[in-house]
Amino acid sequence: MSKFLKFTASIVLLGAAWATSANAQDADAGEKVFRKCAACHAVGEGAKNKVGPELNEIFGRVAGSLEDFKYSKAMTKAGEEGLVWDHDSLTEYLAKPRDYVKGTKMAFAGLKKDDEIANVIAYLATFSESAEQAAAEPDSAPAAAPVETASTAEPAVNAADAVIPEHGVYHLGREALPEEVAAWDIDVRPDGVGLPFGSGTVADGGVLYDENCAVCHGVFGEGEGRWPVLSGGFDTLTADRPVKTIGSYWPFASTIFDYVHRAMPFGNARSLSADQTYAITAYLLYLNDIVTEEDFELSNETFSEISLPNEENFYPDDRLEEANFATNVEPCMENCGDGPAEIVMRARVLDVTPDGDEENGAGGID
Amino acid sequence: MSKQPQKDKNFVPSRRSFLQGGLTAAGGAAVAAIGGGAALAAGTPDPAITELKDWNQYSGPGVDAAPYGVPSPFEAHVVRRDVPWLTADPISSINFTPLHELDGIITPNGLCFERHHSGVAEVDPAEHRLMINGLVDKPLVFTMQDLMRFPRENRVYFLECAANSGMEWRGAQLNGCQFTHGMLHNVMYTGVRLRTLLEEAGVKPAGKWILAEGADASGMGRSIPIEKALDDCLVAFKMNGEALRPEQGYPVRLCVPGWEGNMWVKWLRRIEVGDKPWQLREETSKYTDLMPDGRARRFTWAMDVKSVITNPSPQAPITHGRGHTIITGVAWSGHGKIKRVDVSIDGGRNWQHARIDGPSLSRSLHRFYYEFNWDGSPLYLQSRAIDEQGYVQPTKDALRAARGDNSIYHNNGIQTWYLKSNGEAENVEVS
Ligand code: HEC
Ligand code: HEC
Repeated sequence: MSKFLKFTASIVLLGAAWATSANAQDADAGEKVFRKCAACHAVGEGAKNKVGPELNEIFGRVAGSLEDFKYSKAMTKAGEEGLVWDHDSLTEYLAKPRDYVKGTKMAFAGLKKDDEIANVIAYLATFSESAEQAAAEPDSAPAAAPVETASTAEPAVNAADAVIPEHGVYHLGREALPEEVAAWDIDVRPDGVGLPFGSGTVADGGVLYDENCAVCHGVFGEGEGRWPVLSGGFDTLTADRPVKTIGSYWPFASTIFDYVHRAMPFGNARSLSADQTYAITAYLLYLNDIVTEEDFELSNETFSEISLPNEENFYPDDRLEEANFATNVEPCMENCGDGPAEIVMRARVLDVTPDGDEENGAGGID
Repeated sequence: MSKQPQKDKNFVPSRRSFLQGGLTAAGGAAVAAIGGGAALAAGTPDPAITELKDWNQYSGPGVDAAPYGVPSPFEAHVVRRDVPWLTADPISSINFTPLHELDGIITPNGLCFERHHSGVAEVDPAEHRLMINGLVDKPLVFTMQDLMRFPRENRVYFLECAANSGMEWRGAQLNGCQFTHGMLHNVMYTGVRLRTLLEEAGVKPAGKWILAEGADASGMGRSIPIEKALDDCLVAFKMNGEALRPEQGYPVRLCVPGWEGNMWVKWLRRIEVGDKPWQLREETSKYTDLMPDGRARRFTWAMDVKSVITNPSPQAPITHGRGHTIITGVAWSGHGKIKRVDVSIDGGRNWQHARIDGPSLSRSLHRFYYEFNWDGSPLYLQSRAIDEQGYVQPTKDALRAARGDNSIYHNNGIQTWYLKSNGEAENVEVS
């Protein structure tokens, strides 16, 4: 028997359950929560599948049932076994996706707060006709907001009582507490300054990477679709189309730790612990053949053993030495060049100017 | 009601629209928007004059119809546009300023191009703090109110993304100066000198670099040498007189005049002082310039002297035929003021001085005009700027000779538009 059978409730039933709770949730707040999903999901008019399936009409959708999306086996199976998305099943799934659908490829740890879950579901409901009708929201036109006449509403203090600090020239601001500096100062430098205490192995990193990163960056770091490539590209820097990766291009391993710790996974930044970041960094080094043993452990101690092959190929800006930077050379004003100008290249030849149907330009920005 | 303007947000002239509809389709929105009357047979009275117009007869909306004013609906085509294939996802992507729709030197706030790496952070100013830590006498935290109590300055600066024109290294690719040159805007900022804030904390003698860091989900960070930090960097909270727009870093951003846009950290929340650069992702993996020998330049901060003709250009064809014609464009340099702009109509064989009009400020856009009598023959239009250091804008070929095709950033080469007899313009390169 499948654990999902209890959720095959008809849409009518689920609608009723939904209606009772509709008022407590706030679709507007849910729109904000949805930003955590937006890296992977689109919803609303014209929403297309991205890393995850589009979420229009999610209420009443059989799990894993969009024909043009490639689901994990686990999600397809859950649908076959009767999982239908409704208020309750979404609540459980969004709290712990991987516990609820074991083997789902949704690389998302889950929403921690109950009200976030309720609000995002309320938001999704606004794009689901069945849920909207069932909710039959009471007239909820907000009372006209009072017109703000001033931008700041700081409580008035008696000016003479304000405490003036001693530091500096203007005596403004206050001293930052050590806890506050620690909360924000997470940067790491090539000489290891800033590395937190901790460790992680290549093997641990592989598991974390598959769960959190592979959907976008590919199982081997090869990059899915247009998402960034993280590995390979060796000996391509002089090629026609260089592939710049951690292994082929990046000068410092500290940058991997720093960046993953501050900015990845995309859409859920700063969710990885120091140990997890060491492990993932170790795994990225492994994917790039910088370390070769699966039991290699990267830590604040072993970090200094690592160097990246391309480090020495970076040098300071020397543009000013190029011929075209010579100053005070009066440029040619008359009869310059040989014969009349002729077209040697036209944008129309590879017209990639956006007009809705052409999708493949060359080059790109980073 | 009279006829509504075309509201096609995605309108961009392209090969197809030119081929299908010729100028009527391509120039349609622009022409309708500027109210260009259709050619009338000589002697026929113009209905724009002889017919009574609604706006001449009936009163319009009252004063509060739009508490925050918006452009005329006839200007609906004046919008930022993106190039979807450039990036994997709109959350880390870019759009472009419609340079061909603007004049003067100031970019309106709503049209300043956007580039963010993790979407637009929506920051509550009451919960925003700016921290200064590292090699300082006393690490400090400022609220927005604290920041606004320091002496303020007003400065006009251009911001150009280092990748502006980056898609053109391998040759003419995008048809429109919005796309070839639109990672550019020019804004009057109000803010506090970074120097003033650093002095409040007291920089230790060992402090040679700062790290500027944003509060968004990309935690954007860049290393900046202390000389620049103590020179003209500005911690800005107003743009063109009003609060920064969210997509430009509300409530506070860094301005690094003349240097690449990526360093102008938005949603600025922390300045750390250190003795070495941090070598973060945006100054190693990105914003380093790959050279033909496989080595790479790092810390290529300054934006070099550059200019572009904005009208005519592929999105802004000439629809009036031969006769008196105005060529206009913008010029700028990260090394100071623009001293001179030259214009060529024959692909760089002969050059004339253009007229610079409006304020000439260091590290700000300059507006130039070149007026001539067009005989209707096809032209190759180019502009070439010279800055006060004496640097001359190079040809694209000169840049490629020095840097190859793969350096992505800092393409300040001379742009050519091929103006055809029908007034249509195309992005080309000439011998
Ligand atoms: C890192 C990318 C990612 C993030 C972030 C993410 N999802 Fe998903 N989501 C996916 C993928 C991939 C699937 C398909 C899962 C499978 O096939 O196992 C999915 C599936 C789903 C489904 C099932 C859809 C169906 O057609 O059966 C729902 C509902 C869902 N996600 C909601 C959310 C919500 C709500 C959030 C934010 C709170 C979120 N997801 C965050 C990637 C993501
Ligand atoms: C939802 C898709 C997604 C997921 C999941 C994701 N990333 Fe990323 N990653 C991105 C995008 C997009 C960028 C580029 C961001 C930018 O433009 O600044 C990126 C950039 C990177 C880079 C820098 C690449 C370069 O060449 O500069 C690294 C390293 C990286 N990610 C590692 C990770 C790791 C490790 C994980 C898992 C913990 C992860 N990413 C999860 C989308 C994703």
